[in-house]
Amino acid sequence: MNERKMEKRAGYSLMLPALLVIGLVTIFPILYSVWMSLNDIRLTTNGFLMKFIGFSNYNVIFSSPVYWHSVWFTVYYAIVTVVAELVIGMMIALAINGIEKLKDVSLVVMLIPWSLITVISAQMWAYIYNGVYGVLNYILQVLHVIGAPVTWLGTSTSAVIAMMVADIWKTTPFVVIILLGGLQMLSKEYFEAAYMDGANRWQTFWSVTFPLLRSSIALAGLFRILQAFGIFDLPFVLTGGGPGTTTQSLAILGEQALFQNLHFGVGSAIAVSTVALVLISCLIFLSAFRSLVEGESA
Amino acid sequence: MSSFVKKGMVLGAAVMTLGSLVAGCGAATNNTQQAADNKNANNTAATGNGPVDFSKASGSIVWAAPPITNNGLRKTLVDTFNKEHPNIKVTLQNQNTNTDTNRASLTTAIGGGATTPDVYMGDVVWPAQFAHSQLAMPLDKVLPADFWNRFANGLVDGAKYQGKVYAAPFFADTAFLFYRKDLLDKAGLPVPTSWEQVQKDAQTLQNKGLVKFGYVWQGASYEGLTCDFTEILADAGGKVLDSSGKPALDSPEAKKALSFMRGLITSKVSPAAEDTFKEPESMNVFNNGDAAFLRNWSYAWTSSQNPKDSKVVGKVGVTVLPTFGGGAGYSSVGGWDLFVNPHTKNVPATLAFIDWMTGKEAQTIMAKQFSEIPTNKDVQNDPNVKKVSPIFNIVSQTKFVSRPSQNPNYAQISQALYTNVNQALSGGISVDDALKKAQQAIQSSASSGGL
Amino acid sequence: MIQSKSRKVFGYFVLLFFLLLIILPFYWMVVTSFKPNTEISVYPPTLLPTQWTFQHYTEAFTHFHFQVYIINSVIVSIVSTFLVLFFSSMAGFAVASLPIRNKTAIMIVLLVISMFPPIAIISPLYMLLRSLGWLNSYQALIVPYVAFNLPFAIWIMRNYFLQVPKALFEAAKVDGATVFQTFYRIYLPITTPGLFTASVFTFVAAWTEFFMALVFNSSDAMRTIPVGIALFSGQYDVPYGTIFAGSVVSVIPIFILVIIFRKWIVSGLTAGAVKG
Repeated sequence: MNERKMEKRAGYSLMLPALLVIGLVTIFPILYSVWMSLNDIRLTTNGFLMKFIGFSNYNVIFSSPVYWHSVWFTVYYAIVTVVAELVIGMMIALAINGIEKLKDVSLVVMLIPWSLITVISAQMWAYIYNGVYGVLNYILQVLHVIGAPVTWLGTSTSAVIAMMVADIWKTTPFVVIILLGGLQMLSKEYFEAAYMDGANRWQTFWSVTFPLLRSSIALAGLFRILQAFGIFDLPFVLTGGGPGTTTQSLAILGEQALFQNLHFGVGSAIAVSTVALVLISCLIFLSAFRSLVEGESA
Repeated sequence: MSSFVKKGMVLGAAVMTLGSLVAGCGAATNNTQQAADNKNANNTAATGNGPVDFSKASGSIVWAAPPITNNGLRKTLVDTFNKEHPNIKVTLQNQNTNTDTNRASLTTAIGGGATTPDVYMGDVVWPAQFAHSQLAMPLDKVLPADFWNRFANGLVDGAKYQGKVYAAPFFADTAFLFYRKDLLDKAGLPVPTSWEQVQKDAQTLQNKGLVKFGYVWQGASYEGLTCDFTEILADAGGKVLDSSGKPALDSPEAKKALSFMRGLITSKVSPAAEDTFKEPESMNVFNNGDAAFLRNWSYAWTSSQNPKDSKVVGKVGVTVLPTFGGGAGYSSVGGWDLFVNPHTKNVPATLAFIDWMTGKEAQTIMAKQFSEIPTNKDVQNDPNVKKVSPIFNIVSQTKFVSRPSQNPNYAQISQALYTNVNQALSGGISVDDALKKAQQAIQSSASSGGL
Repeated sequence: MIQSKSRKVFGYFVLLFFLLLIILPFYWMVVTSFKPNTEISVYPPTLLPTQWTFQHYTEAFTHFHFQVYIINSVIVSIVSTFLVLFFSSMAGFAVASLPIRNKTAIMIVLLVISMFPPIAIISPLYMLLRSLGWLNSYQALIVPYVAFNLPFAIWIMRNYFLQVPKALFEAAKVDGATVFQTFYRIYLPITTPGLFTASVFTFVAAWTEFFMALVFNSSDAMRTIPVGIALFSGQYDVPYGTIFAGSVVSVIPIFILVIIFRKWIVSGLTAGAVKG
């Protein structure tokens, strides 16, 4: 019993530094932001002038079709890109894990897109997608896929797809690294046993790899979903939310309210509502992947 | 699941307690900040309600400005000022060129109580919003009344909000029609003076295989589209907001303007990618020799004559924007102002800097060396300056239309306008629907500032 | 044998395909950074520069203070990464292996924090940093980067620690090791892949973060690469060549990072993880 107490104490003291840093830097701004969402705010030379108005800011956003469009866009955008990234990421991770040579090279190449600064890689894609001089149109024309140049970022459907491609290109490495980490922790004996049983590749994957990787997949999926819900840099540079408001994510909408229109209350309400939305989906997600939170040892 | 949620709530309560502690600290810092601000206010009060004497100003100040064209304009001005004012040292703080990013960093800093930058360069559409949020210091009290006489007509009015002046006009920007002299000569066409003619001439040149695109402008979903649309709307006889401040986009004029713009794309006079074009894209196409006509700001003249970037050096002509039916058309009022941070600790030095920057010497440097349009009346009319660029000779023929930036919710009004216009340009919705949606959105943002 | 060989060939094929897709856009960026301005917007585009130029690279370093931005980014990213590794490995170990209460709740709070859009809290954070007098300093970025990257790193480390068999912990206890000794001597060495993963994530996040860097460090001497490159543009021009040149240079440290950590990845692979 005494030993357990000691372990407990050790546990808290090991956790304390991390919690202190997080708490001091993030908790105050987050609570402040929640408080802001409940106020009518005017910026003055003495800082924010706040008047408590309850949930009025939420009324404003919930009654706005622009807001609901952003919610819908953000949600389906997140789901499509994250699923695509998980599938492609799994393929790449398995491929890298299965080879012996060129592992280092593959890893380095893979890290390129991810290590590019998002605001810059968005410029790169804008340049590639350019409707007049874009190299993508050139390649597709040479391959006879398209007849005339396409304005990728200029029509609703193609702009969404173009943005998704740029996003998947950029963030799949994130998924690969996590899955690769998970694969590295797996003992080769599992696979060998499966071969012995005469399982084919597909069966091995579903019966051995997938279950063992469950927590890595869940981790990658969870954090990618979180990031995808906050997507900002890419549409900000690539489409500016356009054409029209087609690619206006919640973060773009929030940024506009906060920093362009200086409606701090409404902007904070958008941010807080986003978090609430994500939190709900996370709880659903987590109840499906309980082990991720509870831990096997708990 | 239930224990899961319960645990979460227990910890949530703990976090709230911690949070309120931290928030307590936050409030304390707010108080000190307030005290500092009061001191500041006293400072200003000490200098009296009348004009501040800045003839003996000294000390260091920071000027925040985005790169104008990356040709060293800002540095030349700062260096010259510092040399002539040994007691004042101005440091340049580089700002982001994306206007939205620039505005976000300024609002965070000044809204958060920062004392620097002391003076910053801001868009001509900012005064109302920045005044409303007290991000800019009113300047009419601290500067002598005759200070404002140096500016060309109408410019100071654009920097006013509720009767006070919040910024000093720094340089003006006007849009023009740039055209390919060589192509018009080849086809035996005169320089067009009406939109109809621009469209027809463009088609003629395209059909003859002389050029790929007829006319390029700015149609992306951003502030620039508000400028382009406002101009054509004014040419058609319409307005974004009527005299009582209500949106007026349900008018036949608005329909004519937007239909014309969409028609440019459907008739292939403008490229299909037009709805993704900002200034750089349209400039590129023109500099590459792929367009016969270009609507752009005054910098386009210098850009098209720079052999490093342009293949059409010596082949370009410039004239005032046309209008429907012929004659001089409207240009949006563009340009940049100098604003003062209300928290600045050195009002005199800041004012001395603004005085010099809008004075003859700096404005002449700007016009002669960098061909920006001066706001200083005397410099604008200086025959030596007029020789520098053909633009300075025609700027007086242009008619001006202001964007409805007197409304503190202008940013939102403009968003409502350009997102819907852009949607129509892309063919995503019809012209009628776009105008109807813009009308509704502007209505709600102009009054309540809702979403 | 035959099956495993065909399996390998298939693996290489899949990999090659994806690596090609990954590399092509980057190739385009590199090539463009060597083209003179007049060649950057032409149609059809030239797949290799007809006239190679280094002007964009020299411009980035002479015209702009790119070397300053690089040094700042390196300092901020490396320090943030080390702090995150230090804090997250301890916390991750505690959450995974020690009997503390409210683990679930702690993890959920961490999740909520990592979810909050940075844009929403940038104003209060700015005021906080200003009252500390930290604006325009390395710690103005390091501290928030550590705080915002810690939750994810803790999750990663915790996941790795969870996969270490409980028996190891008990065995160490029998040998008389203290909790801390068990952590340093036994757990950390076998979870180096986890440390690698967490460090790469943190480094990249700090390396590429834009908005806080823009707002908190506004003086030119304290700017990081993302903010610096964004300033290459003029009011009305996007100098793709110079932007891409800066971007290509900014990828180099990542190459170095991976080459340094290579040994760790490989050792993680060959050790076949944990022998039960």
